[in-house]
Amino acid sequence: MASGKKQTQQYARQLLELSLVNGAVSLERVAGVLAHLERNRPVNVLGILRAYHRLVAGAVARGQAVVEHAGSIHDQALADIAAAMSRRYGRPITGSARRNNALLAGLRVRVGDDVYESSVAGQLAQLAAAV
Amino acid sequence: MTHPLFLAAAQGAAQPGIVETFGLETKYIIMQVVSFLIVLGVLYKFGIKPVTATMEERNRKIEAGIRHAEEMQAKLAATQAESAVIVKQAHGEAARIVDEARKTAKDFLDKQAQEATAKANDLIAKAQQATQLEHRRMLAEARAEVARLVVTTTERVLARKLTDADRAAYNDAATRELTGV
Repeated sequence: MASGKKQTQQYARQLLELSLVNGAVSLERVAGVLAHLERNRPVNVLGILRAYHRLVAGAVARGQAVVEHAGSIHDQALADIAAAMSRRYGRPITGSARRNNALLAGLRVRVGDDVYESSVAGQLAQLAAAV
Repeated sequence: MTHPLFLAAAQGAAQPGIVETFGLETKYIIMQVVSFLIVLGVLYKFGIKPVTATMEERNRKIEAGIRHAEEMQAKLAATQAESAVIVKQAHGEAARIVDEARKTAKDFLDKQAQEATAKANDLIAKAQQATQLEHRRMLAEARAEVARLVVTTTERVLARKLTDADRAAYNDAATRELTGV
């Protein structure tokens, strides 16, 4: 049972590597992998697809910087943030904006599981925690 | 003892006056003497000798009793003296035991008092610590509540007062900060 799960994870990782182009998830490659799985259904295809989905979601999240903001944000600022994150992680990272008025003012950037924040709400939370 | 009688009888025979006067005859006298001797022997053997032996035995017993009594008296005196010594020693021992008991009781009371004092001090210290902890907890809760109120109020005020220009300026500053990471 454990061995089968391990094999499924390993197979899903191989599929994920096939789905990457320059460290980023390629839509065409993902479509090709899914077509391959459709044509040649392996044993436990459902488990493989779940593991593959989880890995692809993680890879997408690692290759994407979600920039939450309150107020307006320029496209240039979004691009600058994406470029800075790409330099930091050593892989191409794209930026996507998401409005969040709870921040009051400022930005919060999520890259995978990492969070970078410079917002009024964050500073107020730090103030409350420090007191 | 019978010898003078024989002499008297012999003299009587020589001098007939007395024998004839008193009507004495030798054979009767001899028979009387023999009888007397027999009676004397019987009395001596069965009367005087046992009585004498009994008396001597009683005398020995009395002397032994007296000696025994004297020994007993001496032993009694020795025993009384020994008893007096023992009683004196017992008095001394009893006094020592009483002193030790008093000293032990005093030590026990002192120890109990010290333990009670230590426990009381410990309880007081714990109560003070609990009071201090409670005080600190209340201060922390009050501080946290004040901070929460301040933050909430600040958020509401900022949400109303911040203009789009303020937010844009803050966003630019945040962008510069984040790109410099």
